Amino acid sequence: MTRPLSTPVVADARLEAVLLRHEIETFNTAYAVTLDEQRLMDWVELFTDDALYVVLSRENFDRGLPVGLIYCENKGMIRDRAFALRETAMFAPRYLRHMIANLSVFEEASDGTITARANYVVLQVLFDRPDATLHQVGTYYDKFRRTADGLRLAERRCVYDNLLVPNALCIPV
Amino acid sequence: MAWQRAASLESIPENGVLGVEIAGTPVALYRLKDEVYATHGVCTHALALLAEGFVEDGKIECPLHQGVFDIRSGKALCAPLTRDLQTFAVKVEGGEVFVALDQSAHEAGEKRPEESTLENAAATGGVVVIGAGQAAAAAIIAMREAGFGGTIDLIGDEPHPPYERPPLSKEMLSGQGGGPLYRLTEEDATRQKVKLHLGIRAAAVDSAAQTVRLDDGTTLSYGALLLTTGGRARRLTVPGTDLPNVLHLRTIEDAAAIDRAFGNASDVCIIGGGFIGLELASAASARGLAVTLLEREAEIMSRLLPASLGRVFRKLAQQHQVDLRLNADVRAIVERGRRLGIDAGGEIIEADLVLVGIGLEPELDLAQTAGCQCAGGIVVDADGRTSVPRIWAAGDCALHHIESGNRALRLESWHNAEEQGDAAGRSIAGVTATARKAPWFWTDQFSLNIQMLGLVGAGDLVAHSGVPGAAPGAVYRTIDRNSGRLTGVVAFSKTKAIREARAELEKEGPFDLAAAGAQLLNAISASEEINLEVGDMNANPPLSITTRYVWPKEGLRRIPDWVYTDQTIYEREIERIFQGRTWNYVALECEVPNPGDYIRSNVGPTPVVVSRAEDGTIHVFENRCAHRAAEFCRELSGNAKEFVCPYHQWSYDLKGNLAGVPFRRGVDGKGGMPKDFHNADHGLRRLNVTTHRGVVFASYRPDMETLQEYLGPEILAEFEATFDGRKPRLLGHYRHTLPGNWKLYHENLKDPYHATLLHTFLVSFGLLVAGNKSLMLADPTGRHGVMASAKSDKSVSSESKNEMRAYREGMELADPRLMNFIEEFDSPWSVTMATIWPNLIIQREMNTLGVRQIVPTGPHEFIMKWTMFGFEGDDEEMTRHRLRQGNLMGPAGFLGLEDNEAIKFVQDGMQHVPNGNHLVELDPAVAMGTSDTLISEAAIRGMYQHWRQEMGL
Ligand SMILES: Cc1cc2nc3c(=O)[nH]c(=O)nc-3n(C[C@H](O)[C@H](O)[C@H](O)COP(=O)(O)OP(=O)(O)OC[C@H]3O[C@@H](n4cnc5c(N)ncnc54)[C@H](O)[C@@H]3O)c2cc1C
Ligand code: FES
Ligand SMILES: [Fe+2]
Repeated sequence: MTRPLSTPVVADARLEAVLLRHEIETFNTAYAVTLDEQRLMDWVELFTDDALYVVLSRENFDRGLPVGLIYCENKGMIRDRAFALRETAMFAPRYLRHMIANLSVFEEASDGTITARANYVVLQVLFDRPDATLHQVGTYYDKFRRTADGLRLAERRCVYDNLLVPNALCIPV
Repeated sequence: MAWQRAASLESIPENGVLGVEIAGTPVALYRLKDEVYATHGVCTHALALLAEGFVEDGKIECPLHQGVFDIRSGKALCAPLTRDLQTFAVKVEGGEVFVALDQSAHEAGEKRPEESTLENAAATGGVVVIGAGQAAAAAIIAMREAGFGGTIDLIGDEPHPPYERPPLSKEMLSGQGGGPLYRLTEEDATRQKVKLHLGIRAAAVDSAAQTVRLDDGTTLSYGALLLTTGGRARRLTVPGTDLPNVLHLRTIEDAAAIDRAFGNASDVCIIGGGFIGLELASAASARGLAVTLLEREAEIMSRLLPASLGRVFRKLAQQHQVDLRLNADVRAIVERGRRLGIDAGGEIIEADLVLVGIGLEPELDLAQTAGCQCAGGIVVDADGRTSVPRIWAAGDCALHHIESGNRALRLESWHNAEEQGDAAGRSIAGVTATARKAPWFWTDQFSLNIQMLGLVGAGDLVAHSGVPGAAPGAVYRTIDRNSGRLTGVVAFSKTKAIREARAELEKEGPFDLAAAGAQLLNAISASEEINLEVGDMNANPPLSITTRYVWPKEGLRRIPDWVYTDQTIYEREIERIFQGRTWNYVALECEVPNPGDYIRSNVGPTPVVVSRAEDGTIHVFENRCAHRAAEFCRELSGNAKEFVCPYHQWSYDLKGNLAGVPFRRGVDGKGGMPKDFHNADHGLRRLNVTTHRGVVFASYRPDMETLQEYLGPEILAEFEATFDGRKPRLLGHYRHTLPGNWKLYHENLKDPYHATLLHTFLVSFGLLVAGNKSLMLADPTGRHGVMASAKSDKSVSSESKNEMRAYREGMELADPRLMNFIEEFDSPWSVTMATIWPNLIIQREMNTLGVRQIVPTGPHEFIMKWTMFGFEGDDEEMTRHRLRQGNLMGPAGFLGLEDNEAIKFVQDGMQHVPNGNHLVELDPAVAMGTSDTLISEAAIRGMYQHWRQEMGL
C-alpha cells in the first residue's frame, strides 16, 4: 500500500516557486502539443480575452520597432487568425515540432500577472522533403494570468533570432 | 630665279625617283635617260610621297592610290587624280642637281584645247548635267578636253560645287577640321564656261521636248542630257530612325554633323557592316569612342565579298575593339534618357550616337520619268548612253556596262564615277571612250590602306599570300569558281600587289596560284568560327548564348523554364539588369535619418552600404574592401564616423573614399605602398544615387536618366500617390527567403488573375472580387506595373460566387477592424501593388504600407526584405491600425504566405518536371501591357518583352 499523501498548507516560498514553474512548464507543453497537432481553435483558448500575441524578429525587437509577422491585440484577432488559417489559407502540408525549454519564471505581480521567459525551437518537416529543418528559434516573453480555467497567456511575444523566415510562417509559434 | 642645290646626280637612280626636301618643301627628283626633272614631292590626291612610287614610261605612279602623273608636265593622267602636280625647273652642273622652287619646269602655259570640229552629239544644243557630283565633274572636264565648246549647265541640289566624298568618312571625321576636297571648284567652272545652278533641284525631264524643268521654275533645253544623280543614303525602316543623334553619311553637312557628334559621344553604335560602316567604325575608334557595329547578315560585306574575305575585314575591326555583332536584327531605335537604345533582335544596345551605313539608294526618279530603262540603276552602254536618245548617265546612279556573274551591278566607287563620267563626257563631245581600266577601289580602315582591283564576286574562291590576316602586306586574290580566272585582288597596305595585279588580271586562263605563292582559303563554317573565337579563353568552348537559349516560337505567350532555372541566365541578369540600366531600391531615407547612419543593403545580390555623410547626402557603395575584398560592414544598421575594415584597418569615409592605409609609407623606409599609390584611386566602388520622396535608389550606371523619367508619368503618379509627401516613419522589417526565381514575384503582382482564386481570404471579405473596379497598369516599356483595386462594399453577385471557388458564405471576423480602410490617400484605389523594375514592390494594402526589396541569390531562390512604414504625424491608433492590418501581408500574412507558397510550388514544378514552357495566354485582345480586366496576363507578357530586350534573348 502506498502511503497517503498529506496535503499540508504550502508555506514554503521555494516550494511554491517549484509548483509555479511546474504549472507553467505543463502549460507550455500543452501549448506545444496543441500547435504540433495543429489544433488551432484549441490554441486560441490558451489566451485571455485581452491577450497580446506577437511574433517579431530579434532585429525589430532590439531596435524597438513594433512590426510583427503576426500581430494580435486580443483574443478575437487570435481567433480570426486561427480561423483564417484553417478555413482559407493555402499552404503545403507539414509536420511541426515545438520545443520549449530554459524556462525562467520571474515574480508574480500583485495583480496576479506572472512574468516568464522560455526559449523555443520549431522544427518543420515538409511532406515532400526528407529532413526536418530548423524553422524558427527564439524566446517567448510571456505574461500569464490565472483564470477560472487555469493558467492562460495574457501576453506572448515570440522573438525569433533567425534573420530570415524560411519562405513562410504558416502555423503560429 | 633662286637655284638651290637638291642632290648629286648620281644619287638619283636611273629611271627612278629620289625624294629630297628643299627649304621645307618635299621635292621628287627623277632621272629619265639623261634628263632630270623635279616635281612637288607629295601627291595631289592624298598625303603620299611620290618618291615611294614607281617610275615607268616617263610617268610616276603614286604608291598610295595608283594615280599617275606625267613627270615632265606634272599632268594628272588618271583617276583618282584630279589636279596636276607642280613641277620645278631643274639644272645640272658638275654632277650636282639644282632646283628652282619659284619656277615651273616649262614656261609654256597650258594649251587650251582647240574647239572640236567633230560633229558631236550636243551640236544641236547645249549640254545639261543633272547632279553636281564627281561623275558630273569628270564628264565636264572630259567634254572640254575633247573640245566641246557649247554651253554646259550644271544643276546640283547641294549648295556646293562637285566635291569628293571619300574624305567624308576619313579625314573629315578626324576632329581636326579637314575641309572638303572639291573636284570642280567655282573657278574651274568659270574657266570651263560651266553655268552652275547650285542649291536647285531638277524636277522633271521631258525627253520628247528635250527640256529639263528646275524646281525654281526655270526650264532648260538640251542637246544632250547627262544624269549623274548619284543616290541617297538608305534609311532604316524601323521606328526611331528620325531621332536626333541617329545620323547618316553622304554629304559634307552629314560629315560635319558626325564629326561634331563624335566630340560629344563616348560610344557609338554603327548599323551596317559595309565599307562606310567600317570606315565610320575606324574613325570613331580613332577618336577614342567605344564602337558597336551591327550587321544584319552572317558576315560583313557579304553582298560584295566572299565570306572568308569579309571575315578578314571583320577581324581587323575586332582587333581594334569594335564590338561587332552579326545576324543583328535592328527593330527600333528608342530614347533611353539622354542616350539611344537600339533594339537589335530583342537586345537593347545603348549608345550616345547611332550611325546608319546601310548602303545607297540610287536616285532614279528623273531617269524613269524620262523613260530610261532602269534595273536597280540606269542601264548604259560603254559610252554611258541610256536607252533614250540624247540622254547619258554615269556614276553611282548608273549600272556598270559589264555584267558580273550574269548580274548587272552598280559600282559605287570613286574610280567608277571618274571613268563613267569621263566616257560619257567624251561620248557627248563626239569622241569614243578610251579603254577602260579594271575597276578599282580603296578604303582606309584602322590605319591600313586597303585597295581592291577587279570585279570581285561574292561567290568567288579566295587565295591568300603574304602576311596572314589583315596586317600590312596581306594579299588576297579572288578566283572565279568555274573558269579559275583571277577576278580581283585585295591588298592590305601593299600597293605593289595592286600594281602587279593589273597585269595578272589581263592574263587569260586559270590563275597560277603556286606561281604567285598563294594558297586557297577554306570557307569557314559558322560552327568552326565559334570554336575559334571562344577557344582562346575556354578550353571547352560553350555554344554562344543565343544558340543555347531559344525562345519558344509562340512568342510572349510562352515562357520557357530556363528563364527561371538556369545559372547562366541568372548571371546575365545580374550583369545586364541589376547592374545595368536600372534604378535599384536600396533604402528608405528614414532608415538613415542622421549623419553617420548606415544600413546594409543590396543591389541585386551585391551587398552595399547605404550611408548618410556629414553633409546630409546619401551614398551607396559596395561592401567590399578595396584592399582584399573583405565584406567589412557587418552590422545590419548603425552609426559610424567612418568605416574601418577589420582585416588590415583600411578606413573609408562616409562617402566610401579611402581615408587611411596603415603603414602606407612602410616602416623605417622599408615596405609600404608604391610611391604612385593614391588613396583617391582606391576608394570603395560607389554607385549612382537618387532619392525621391524619401525613397533611395542606386544604380551601377553613371549616366542614368532621372527616376521620374525611369518610371514614366503613370507609374510616377502611383508612386507619388503612396509617397504623398508625408515623411515616412519606419515601423520594422520582415525578411524571408523564397525558394523561387525572383521574377516570379514580379509576375505574381502582374497577375491579377490569381488574386481572386488563390486568396480566399481576400475574396471572402470583399477586398477583391472579380467584379471590383480594378486596373492592371503597365508602363510603356513593360517593366513596371501597378495592380490596383478599389474595395467594394457591395455584396458578391451569385454568378461571381459560383465562379470563385474562393468565396465562403457566412464568414465573419471577430475583430473586423482588420479590414477597415481609413481614407488617407488621394487615389481612387484602396489597394495598389506597384512593381518597380527590377527590385522593388510598393505595397499599399489599404493602410498597411511597405516596400519590398528583392535580393536574388541564385536562379532558384531570393531573399525578400520588407520595410514597413507609416508616416510622421500618425497617432498611436493609426500606427496600431497599420500593424493590425499588417496581418494580411508578409511571410505570415493571410495573403502573403499564400503567395510565397504558390511561388515555391512553381519553382518545384519546374525543377522536378524540367524543360517545359509556361502558358501565358490570358486576354489575347491585349498583346501586352495595361489591361482593365483582372483576367489577364498581358502585363506579364509586357515584362518579358522588356526582359528579352535587356537580356538579348
Ligand atoms: C562617305 C563616303 C566615303 C566614300 N569612300 C570611298 C572610297 O574610299 N573609295 C571609293 O572608291 N569610293 C568611295 N565612296 C564612293 C564615291 O564617293 C561615290 O561612288 C561617288 O561619289 C559617286 O559619284 P556620283 O557623281 O555618281 O554621285 P554623287 O557624288 O552622289 O553626286 C550626285 C549629286 O547629284 C545630286 N542630285 C541628285 N538628284 C538631283 C536632282 N534631281 N537635281 C539636282 N541634283 C541632284 C546629289 O545631291 C549629289 O550631289 C565614298 C562615298 C561616301 C558617301
Ligand atoms: S582586406 Fe580590408 S584592409 Fe585588408
Ligand atoms: Fe497574391
